[in-house]
Amino acid sequence: MTTNRRPTPRRALRRLPLNAAAGLTVVICLFPVYWMVTTALKPSRDIQSYEPRLVPRAWTLDHFRAAVQADGFTLFWRNSILVTLSAVLLALLVALGAAYAVARLRWRGRRQFMLAVFIAQMAPWESLIIPIYIIARDTDMLDRLPTLTLVYFMITLPFTVVVLRGFIAGIPPELEEAAQVDGCTRVGAFRRVAFPLLAPGLMATSLFGFITAWNEFTYANFLIIKQQDSRTLPVWLSSFQTTFGTDWGATMAASTLFALPALIVFLALQRHVTSGLTAGGVKG
Amino acid sequence: MPATPSRRLPRRRPPTLGPYLLIAPAVLGMLYLLLYPFGRALLISLQDFRLRELIRGDAEFVGLRNYRTLLTDPRFWDVVRRTFLFMAVNVVAIMILSTLVALMIERLGRPARAVVLSSLVLVWAVPVVAATTVFQWLFHSEFGIVNETLTRLGFTSFEGYTWFADGSAAFTILVVLIVWQSVPFAAITLYSALTTVPEELYESARIDGAGATRIFRSVTFPLVRPIFMLVLSLEVIWTFKAFVQIWVMTRGGPGDATTILPVYAVQTALANQRYDLGAAASMVTVLLMSGVLVLYFRQLFRQEGEHT
Amino acid sequence: MKHRPLALLGAMLLSSGLVACSTSGGDSEQRADGPTVLDVWLMRDSVSETFQKEFEAGFEKAHPDIDLKIQIQEWEGIGEKVTAALASNDAPDVIEVGNTQVAQYAQSGGLTDFSDKVAELGGDSWLKGLAEPGAWEGKQYGIPYYAANRVVIYRTDLFQEAGIDATKIKTRDQWLAATEKLNRNGTQGIYLPGQNWFALAGFVWDEGGDLAAREGATWKGGLDSPEALRAMEFYQRLQALGKGPKDSDESRPLQAEVVAKGRIAQVIAAPGGANLIAQSNPDLKGKLGFFPIPGKTPDTPGAVFTGGSDLVVPSAAAHQEEAYTFIKELTGEAWQKKLALAMSYVPNKTNLAAAVASDPGAAAMAVGAANGHATPNTPQWAAVEAKNPIKDYMTAVLIGRDATSEAGKASRSITTTLNSGS
Repeated sequence: MTTNRRPTPRRALRRLPLNAAAGLTVVICLFPVYWMVTTALKPSRDIQSYEPRLVPRAWTLDHFRAAVQADGFTLFWRNSILVTLSAVLLALLVALGAAYAVARLRWRGRRQFMLAVFIAQMAPWESLIIPIYIIARDTDMLDRLPTLTLVYFMITLPFTVVVLRGFIAGIPPELEEAAQVDGCTRVGAFRRVAFPLLAPGLMATSLFGFITAWNEFTYANFLIIKQQDSRTLPVWLSSFQTTFGTDWGATMAASTLFALPALIVFLALQRHVTSGLTAGGVKG
Repeated sequence: MPATPSRRLPRRRPPTLGPYLLIAPAVLGMLYLLLYPFGRALLISLQDFRLRELIRGDAEFVGLRNYRTLLTDPRFWDVVRRTFLFMAVNVVAIMILSTLVALMIERLGRPARAVVLSSLVLVWAVPVVAATTVFQWLFHSEFGIVNETLTRLGFTSFEGYTWFADGSAAFTILVVLIVWQSVPFAAITLYSALTTVPEELYESARIDGAGATRIFRSVTFPLVRPIFMLVLSLEVIWTFKAFVQIWVMTRGGPGDATTILPVYAVQTALANQRYDLGAAASMVTVLLMSGVLVLYFRQLFRQEGEHT
Repeated sequence: MKHRPLALLGAMLLSSGLVACSTSGGDSEQRADGPTVLDVWLMRDSVSETFQKEFEAGFEKAHPDIDLKIQIQEWEGIGEKVTAALASNDAPDVIEVGNTQVAQYAQSGGLTDFSDKVAELGGDSWLKGLAEPGAWEGKQYGIPYYAANRVVIYRTDLFQEAGIDATKIKTRDQWLAATEKLNRNGTQGIYLPGQNWFALAGFVWDEGGDLAAREGATWKGGLDSPEALRAMEFYQRLQALGKGPKDSDESRPLQAEVVAKGRIAQVIAAPGGANLIAQSNPDLKGKLGFFPIPGKTPDTPGAVFTGGSDLVVPSAAAHQEEAYTFIKELTGEAWQKKLALAMSYVPNKTNLAAAVASDPGAAAMAVGAANGHATPNTPQWAAVEAKNPIKDYMTAVLIGRDATSEAGKASRSITTTLNSGS
């Protein structure tokens, strides 16, 4: 990088359009988010106003209180976390095995397998809902959170395999072979040498899976029927308009709280995530 | 894979059961959770399958009747055309914008880069339903800030302007929303690819007197090409399947102005309870999508053969 | 050794399966010795919280062997939800279904047939607008629950300021004149969102038209008839006398809230809407009055859409007998009277109408109910509502497009949808 050169006035001037573009990008990115957060912080009378204002006249935390205290908020939060995390972990575990096999071992059908994984990305999930509903019904799996877990697992699996495979391929096999020479088993070598190097890739893919599963609505709405205690956050969020009746601010407050976990995880892992995605992509 | 003698790693043991055991869970998962439901969907598309059959079972086999109904419906072809238009507009906008943003991030100073990356991340983390709702409110005819601002700026014709009543306006808002939501992933991925390009290559290109465009064309792009293609194909898939945003915002309306294939399939299946026609529509969707990506798949298949 | 990660995976998959098994006990089947848990789905705003509590207490006292569990469902996406419930093995025991939706479920074969119970439930005095859509091929699947129709809710203080006597508004022309007079000095004469298609339907029926009509074996959309076009013209004139958004309906934003916040003189809603307005802005309590939607002439009230709900029992429900007990209670005379008073509803039987005569909202509603209409009686009508070309049509006309061609487009869409079904 060349950024540590001292900026001369001419240079600064030359950089002006660049920084202006950066500023514009940030504004465009943030404005809807800003609107969501400020709506959550505005008193109700200012929300559906005939004269919407850019900067709220008054601030309040009432909506956040309303959202957190609303019926079942913690329960649905817990459901979402449970389903999302177990789906992501399962996908990681399964994908890790498959990715290792594809990247490191040679076997008949490898190309076909990878192609199948890529084609699996195209699965028309919106239309598979009826067959999956029927299968779940016939195996007595309706109304159960594990059913959702399995579906989310499958939705995120292909992407996870593709990225992890690229990542494993990026680690020189010689490292493991050296460890094997030193007396490790192949699994041990993989675990001790390659696994730590894989951390960024694992994080990148798990974050992608997390956001996807955390957001999913259609299946959660259709497969959880009678056990309303098993609903997940997106379903609950969509019923907000009427759940809160008079309280649009609470909807936005809940959305803000809803976005928070993904955001925190992402900001904490940002550097790993970007390098993880590259490794997956460059080989992909 | 054809049994070519291993070139690079002759020390490896002969193939065993190992790899198959390792991919077994993934394969089983794909078979049971993807291929099997897909097969059921294919079956439904060949049956007379409505609410009664969903409840009662024993649907009647009708061969290709649903496909005939679908393919002879002029409305369906409008939807197909619109889907391609929607996909093309979105993908082009996403790829151009995210490439520009990625190039921009690379040139930014450290603090500015952190700010831009964080705001991109923030956008990615906002729940789709919430983002869609916010957009709906921004563009609301009476209560939205967009109309208010435009009116204040002197464009009085926007007072109470009904964005969602006009087909092309609604279409545009959806494109803006989807591009807004998709650029972060694409831009961050492309940016991470850019950081892998060795600085020396730029230096030597500059010494050769190449301009910025030349450098991008002949140095940068070839090196990030694989990841660019990956992002491109993922965006094609994702915009082809865009559903939640459209469903929450316009339900495919006004008229059919924002009805693309997945919306059409869900409308037919869930709202009209013609599960058979809906299934047929999504089979056609998958076919069309593969058609778009077939070249990419071929390339992918060859690549897979090359490196081990 | 090599197989360790696999064993782990296996264990993981197994354990997720185990979780499934351990939860599959569910909470509806257990408690073998305790009371039976009866799952009931009612719709949002169909009962108030106070009424729900009162009913639950009263019901469980009368039937100690039943543990009543009422779940409130949202209107958004309810069609898919009910479908999923009907097709499941373990459906809720009783479901409330809107009267324009019930026909499709009645013919689906997923509901319990109550034909032999009609007499016991007092079926001969049921409201027709509720009983008919609940029947299919001579069998009764849906049991009438309650009805409501739209009236004009107005602000008494704003009417007084403008010097208008609401009781004198008997015709459309008087109504327009009064609304015009109200619509000044920062007051909105009426808040009418552009897509209140139930209101438009009323005007269409006033003119002698219909949304769709049967022609032999097929249906034909009727929005492009001269009658329906006149109705739209009236809607447009009325809509202009306020700031209702041209491109959305009563729920986006919730109209009760808009009315609660602003200086809005009138709104078209079911009388129960007044409670919601007062709840949102307690200052308006006691300042809300009602009058029936005016007709074309002083002696006929405006035609209205008879909305309401039926109760149905899925065939897959586990507790058929208890479900019937519940229906018998809630649709019986005692609770119907209480419900009608608490929610400003029309009771499900004509002979109970007197019960709500004292309530001003219900009284205004009863005048309109005499000229009540239903949506076209075909199971496919639900599919029209799901896409709703009528809403698009209304918005298009309100923003200045050509009414005749837009009406033609909407009618063709209705025709196609109605005839594409079974």
